Amino acid sequence: MATAVISHEEEVRRLQRREGWKRRLPILPALLFTIAVTQIPFLFTLFYSLTDWRIDTVDPRQFVGVENYVSLSGDKFFLDAAWISVQMTVMAVMGSLIVGTGLALLLDRKFFGQGFIRTLLITPFLVMPVVAGFMWKTQMFNATFGVINWVLNTIGIDSIEFATKYPLASVVVVLIWQWSPFMMLIVLAGLQGQDASVLEAARVDGATAWGTFRQITFPQLRPFLELGTLLGAIYLIQVYDHIEVIVGGQPGAKNLPFYIAQRSIGGGNRFGLASSYSIIVVIASIIIANIGLRVLSGLLEDNS
Amino acid sequence: MAEVRYEAASRLYPGSEIPAVNELNLDITDGELLVLVGPSGSGKSTALRMLAGLETVTSGSVHINDVDVTLKPPQDRDIAMVFQNYALYPSMTVAENMGFALKQAKVPKEKRNELVREAARILDLEPYLDRKPKNLSGGQRQRVAMGRAIVREPQVFLMDEPLSNLDAKLRVQTRTELADLQARLGVTTVYVTHDQVEAMTMGDRVAVLKDGKLQQVDRPRTLYSRPANRFVAGFIGSPAMNLVEVDRQKGGFSLGGVDVPLNDETTAAVAAASGSSMTVGVRPEHLALGSSGLAGKVTVVEELGSESYVHVSVSHQGSDEVLVVRSGGETDIERGDTVHIGFNGPMHVFGTDGERLGS
Amino acid sequence: MAIFTRAPKAEPILGQNRLVANLLGLLTWFIGLLFFFPLFWLVLNGFKEESVANASPTLIFDPTLDRFREVTEANAGLLSFAEAFGNSFWIVLISTIFVMILAVPAAYALAIRPMRKWRDVLFFFISTKFLPIVGIIMPIWIIARDLNLLGTRTVLVVLYTAMNLPLAVWMLRSFFAEVPKELIEAAQIDGCSLLGQLRQVILPIVAPGLAATALLCVIFAWNEFFFAIQLNPTGASTIPVWVNSQQKFQGQFLAGLSAASVLATLPVVVAGWAAQKRMIRGLAMGAIK
Repeated sequence: MATAVISHEEEVRRLQRREGWKRRLPILPALLFTIAVTQIPFLFTLFYSLTDWRIDTVDPRQFVGVENYVSLSGDKFFLDAAWISVQMTVMAVMGSLIVGTGLALLLDRKFFGQGFIRTLLITPFLVMPVVAGFMWKTQMFNATFGVINWVLNTIGIDSIEFATKYPLASVVVVLIWQWSPFMMLIVLAGLQGQDASVLEAARVDGATAWGTFRQITFPQLRPFLELGTLLGAIYLIQVYDHIEVIVGGQPGAKNLPFYIAQRSIGGGNRFGLASSYSIIVVIASIIIANIGLRVLSGLLEDNS
Repeated sequence: MAEVRYEAASRLYPGSEIPAVNELNLDITDGELLVLVGPSGSGKSTALRMLAGLETVTSGSVHINDVDVTLKPPQDRDIAMVFQNYALYPSMTVAENMGFALKQAKVPKEKRNELVREAARILDLEPYLDRKPKNLSGGQRQRVAMGRAIVREPQVFLMDEPLSNLDAKLRVQTRTELADLQARLGVTTVYVTHDQVEAMTMGDRVAVLKDGKLQQVDRPRTLYSRPANRFVAGFIGSPAMNLVEVDRQKGGFSLGGVDVPLNDETTAAVAAASGSSMTVGVRPEHLALGSSGLAGKVTVVEELGSESYVHVSVSHQGSDEVLVVRSGGETDIERGDTVHIGFNGPMHVFGTDGERLGS
Repeated sequence: MAIFTRAPKAEPILGQNRLVANLLGLLTWFIGLLFFFPLFWLVLNGFKEESVANASPTLIFDPTLDRFREVTEANAGLLSFAEAFGNSFWIVLISTIFVMILAVPAAYALAIRPMRKWRDVLFFFISTKFLPIVGIIMPIWIIARDLNLLGTRTVLVVLYTAMNLPLAVWMLRSFFAEVPKELIEAAQIDGCSLLGQLRQVILPIVAPGLAATALLCVIFAWNEFFFAIQLNPTGASTIPVWVNSQQKFQGQFLAGLSAASVLATLPVVVAGWAAQKRMIRGLAMGAIK
């Protein structure tokens, strides 16, 4: 017979190859779309950051190497924005993590109306950031119509125009208000995932409530706290909406993303320079994400 | 009606050196209930899944009715499988679960309902046909899984530890029902379990696997009375066979200073073997407590009512060996007593490679 | 069947003493109401006359629906509330549909028939979420400008799809991973095609997870502001852009803006309330399972 004899092993390999493609195929559209919309533009940004491009002039775009980056160290606007970014991210993450953990501990108990209170507590996270900013600025912080100042007045303290006087703190307060629920949910998931029998064993062994928390609950909660810190940091380093609404163009709370947008699309037109700022933000995020991803992959390993 | 044949079938997982199933050769005759038994990691489930088409056969082949199905997808093999956790479709009713395969095969609705009702009748599931699986008890779910298999009238039933999620009492009851049902339907069945009691009580024949290798395949009685190697000897039987390492010598062996003779055939096999030591196996029922013989101290008495098992610590080659001896029920023997053990039954002898010596 | 069982509830850490427990319950109520208060106040202001809202805070007033009526009718600026609402609605709806069309097969491939190195692919998806938007906004703006897409709904549909896709893949994978492997094998043996397995066996099980994922995508897209203000700040824009421009230029109309804010926020808040349990699980436990 002239037909080629295909050995069993070859046939198995052929089938496995086909099976491999069958498994990969469904993921390709999502993968390609994501690469096209996120990864490729990023490469463009990287390229822009090495040029002196101002899109408002007719001058040709010139390749300037790392000049933009070198100039950053003496760029007062950049350094201010970067410092604001650091303060804002750290304060908002820590603040919401602390408040969120407290809320989670309070909620992780049976009491009348538990579900109702939990629903109230998660609501700030669902509120449109622009609305949250507007609401706090005009109805809480405002010197004449603001509720906080009204309370201060009744106890004999003069009104304070919070958003102008303490712009950074004002933004951070609203961020904590919006992000505490998120942290609360993550910590709550950790608390409720605890193995009841371990806690019971601890009680049988004579551990106090505080001892149980410190020695059993907290170590179990740690990955969740780390996860919350990671996700919170990644989102909060990018805050824009709250700043735009609460402080707008005024100085005092402009972080890097706000400043980048202002100096490029927002009218500054310095695309080359602004791109180098962007790259700095990306690098900071990569550092946070790298630490965080290690935590996440630890979680995946433990549970698979 | 179908015969099943594994021909040097192996499954090597990518990235692993040792095959999960290693050159399995097995012939299963028409209508037979063959049990694959072994400890976890022995490859018994993998072997079953190779027959199902859920695992790739990396070398060798699998045949159903002399048709090579090695490369066929599961749906083309005309098999039905019962899973350990039953794998009932949670969104479908009992009737829909049972009729699902028929629906896929485009069997007309009338015919389908009829077959489902018939299977439900056999399994006492008629009152539950409209329920969802989550509203059934464990035993009922198990029966639905069975029903889903029998309704298709497949060539071969594959069962992967189908009783292990039931509680002990129900398991024993279902065991006999299942074996009876299989015999009545006469469908060739491959049954996987880690429980050697289940294997012995249900199987027409039992195949013992360890580390991906077939150790022995035989009728349960033969497996018990003539284990092919040391592993099978220790694995089959409850309580387990007493296995003691002794010096290899002519005509018999010495255990704790007492000389025990062996029959001629075994003696010849021992003489032909190599190595300085060998393993002797004696089942608890082939030891007896008496007034003379091997002396030892009682460490545990397991009182089971109709019989008891006495654990006796004897001194052998400078260390303590525990022998389990079957004794009558309502015994007065207590922990700490000194007793004497006599040998009154077949001895099993295994060489240094673990293989059986003699008959 | 693991999906029907729940781990036994652990005892609370705080308050094993009865009196302490009651006090803590009271404290929790107080804090819960305090957290909600700004929103409560926003709603109240929406029912006030402008003169009452633009004055010292008060709880006593004659409630009126006029502000809500004015907001839905008003056509003050370039973009009316109703138009912005409509834009938001279509952009969010279409982008969420795209997200699901892309994410369901991907999640299937990652959870049910995982290819080799599926973990790397999953991490790639989630790591794109860690790329700050400012890292890509300028090229996207330029590409959109060159394609004449600035100020269109299309550009936001594309970007919101990309924005939510990693999260959707992440969440859906965890829901798909809960489908017992044996169920799919049983369906295979029963002669079910790939598509049949997805439709008849898997989807009924993951449907609630699918709904929760879609809702989360809706919430994020509905609230998104940065892309919208940078790429589509004018006529075809969305609710957040409308709210921002109104509060900037018509800051005095506190009551009217409050009413508009309530209407802008309500859809996703209600959706979030409805799906809270599954969303929590999908978000937080997606990392764990």
